[in-house]
Amino acid sequence: MTNSSNIKNRYYQSYNDNQSLLPGLDLSWIKRLRDDAITQFNQDGFPDKNVEEWNVHPCKGLSDTFYESRQENNYEIDVKSIEKKDSNCLIRVIFFNGKVINIEHDTLPEGIKVNTLSFYLKNNPEFLKGKIKSANEYSEVRLSNIIDSRPQSIVALNAAFHEDGAIIHIDKNIEVPGFIELLHIGECEENTMKHIRSVIFLDKASKCEVLENIKQHKNNNLVFTSNVTDVHVSEGASLSFVRFIEGNSKNLHINNVHVQLDKDSKFISTSLINSKGQARAETRVNLLGENSSSKINILMMGTNNSLQESLTKVKHSTKNTKSDQIIRIILDENSRGSFQGKIRVDVGADGTLANMSGKSLLLSNNARVNSKPELEILADDVRCSHGVTVGSLNAEQLFYLRSRGIPENEARKLLINSFGNVIINNISTNLAKRAKNLMLEDRNKND
Amino acid sequence: MTIALEIKDLHVEISDKEILKGLSLNIEHGEMAAIMGPNGAGKSTLASVLAGKEGYTITSGSIKYLGKNLLDMPTDERAAAGVFLAFQYPVEIPGVATSTFVRTALNAQRRHRGESELDGIEFLKLAREKAKELEMSEDFFQREVNVGFSGGEKKRAEIFQMSMFSPTLAILDETDSGLDIDALKIVAAGINNLRSDKLCGIVITHYQRLLEHLKPDTIHILADGKIVKTGDKSLAILLEEKGYQGIIEAA
Repeated sequence: MTNSSNIKNRYYQSYNDNQSLLPGLDLSWIKRLRDDAITQFNQDGFPDKNVEEWNVHPCKGLSDTFYESRQENNYEIDVKSIEKKDSNCLIRVIFFNGKVINIEHDTLPEGIKVNTLSFYLKNNPEFLKGKIKSANEYSEVRLSNIIDSRPQSIVALNAAFHEDGAIIHIDKNIEVPGFIELLHIGECEENTMKHIRSVIFLDKASKCEVLENIKQHKNNNLVFTSNVTDVHVSEGASLSFVRFIEGNSKNLHINNVHVQLDKDSKFISTSLINSKGQARAETRVNLLGENSSSKINILMMGTNNSLQESLTKVKHSTKNTKSDQIIRIILDENSRGSFQGKIRVDVGADGTLANMSGKSLLLSNNARVNSKPELEILADDVRCSHGVTVGSLNAEQLFYLRSRGIPENEARKLLINSFGNVIINNISTNLAKRAKNLMLEDRNKND
Repeated sequence: MTIALEIKDLHVEISDKEILKGLSLNIEHGEMAAIMGPNGAGKSTLASVLAGKEGYTITSGSIKYLGKNLLDMPTDERAAAGVFLAFQYPVEIPGVATSTFVRTALNAQRRHRGESELDGIEFLKLAREKAKELEMSEDFFQREVNVGFSGGEKKRAEIFQMSMFSPTLAILDETDSGLDIDALKIVAAGINNLRSDKLCGIVITHYQRLLEHLKPDTIHILADGKIVKTGDKSLAILLEEKGYQGIIEAA
């Protein structure tokens, strides 16, 4: 306990010592956002077992290690050494150790603006005002009407310390051809933390696909990275948001996306998570406008001693909104996984249609998964469903495949892949092949 | 003709309960043998043991197929060696397209036999031909294996697989159950198409109707874990008249 409160104080100290180096401090609203966030973090600390959203598998090395936010960095990367931009990718933003080092694109069509957070803070701060939300904005209102900020303490830490990010702004009626990629790579000193804060804003009736591609950090010591993305999808607009999250055994990555949906808008998100270390993806969606809809698909694969976690909170705040969640977890060896999903239907949000289906496949006796589906319905006229299952490979299916001449190893692969295909098959053609490589084929090659 | 499959004094247990109690059966090359018997006699157990399903303990006896000890071979090797079991209840495999499944299986068998694999075009050509024979529409290639198939479609898909793999020992476990008269005719025709002096067949059924179409060479009555009577098609007719009890008692 003393140890973790010591560490908490060190973050507070570190913020006070270094805040002059953080971007946007000359803007009063950014300074307030940062100050409020560190105050909140200092009050709540890292979430412990008492916080419901974090009590399944506490992240190792999160609350008992101090991560330096501003390390002298001796590592550099040659942009040419990075794999080439996908041909379907219109714009690629490359982050190295938490900072944008390159934005690649050919001539951009009108109405598509992509730049760094620092650029916007300097040149167009008015645009960002109100779009970078305070950590409290998506805090849980418990049924007792008490606002619980503790689950969001990593978001608070991010709000205080973020150094860079990407801003994506799509104008009215613009349909972005191809997709926009945010590529995150790194190699840094031990016990470093990197916070990235991004904003995606789709104006009315626009359409866009964004890939957040988080690669492993090349480190032998713990690296803690957090990405928070504020998403606003305006009336009639549609965003497809894809996350690929990888990591090595020393990486701890926490990813938050906060989504606000206006009337008739759509949010379709797919997260593929297969870190060899620890990865946690949180998705919070507020359906604020009538006829808005949200689709959340998540596939997590764990091997060795890794930990993969997903949390979803979908809030139906108005009439006639729709949400779908499909979660698939495949765990092997000693890996751990958890899924906590909540659908909340506010008072008056009649006509809500909400579904959630979570299935887990355990491939080893030592793998462990926790699944917790939750429904909180405060309206009368709604249709909601939720269900989770946990199982191992089906012996009847294995026998059927083997009786047709398919060797056991190949039959297992076929069944494992088919379990994950429910998610992979829903990915846009732009990214389908990469998704397949990432989750299924690469994994099989390593067997 | 020479013996292809030789089952000798086979004793099989499931969780300490003896199901097959000294079953012996010889099947020659090109022979179509029907096995009939009351519920619980061990018919499906025999089919499962021949295909190599886990969970059965063979306490004694032997099964020789083309001179090889079948019990020593893993399930997938038996398939490559020509053994095919048409399931009584074909298994659904969500997320896997039927064509992917059949092609993976066919190529695995060919690989095992040291033959070259079929590429996508060769495979499709063969599959189209076989599907046409069974009056199946091609869109079932893209459907997930057995998912949402009607009872008849499932059985037809089994016979489709059988014709794709061209086995030398086909075990049809109650393939007629759940089929209407028209489907039964198509399935029976599909099986008859595959008959040759290289194929031996074991048809497990409760009803004479399928046998009218298939015209088996021999009929064996399996009761209480043993073959109690063997004869030709007149035995099936006798069975319709007297029932199992009458025949078992007479035996």
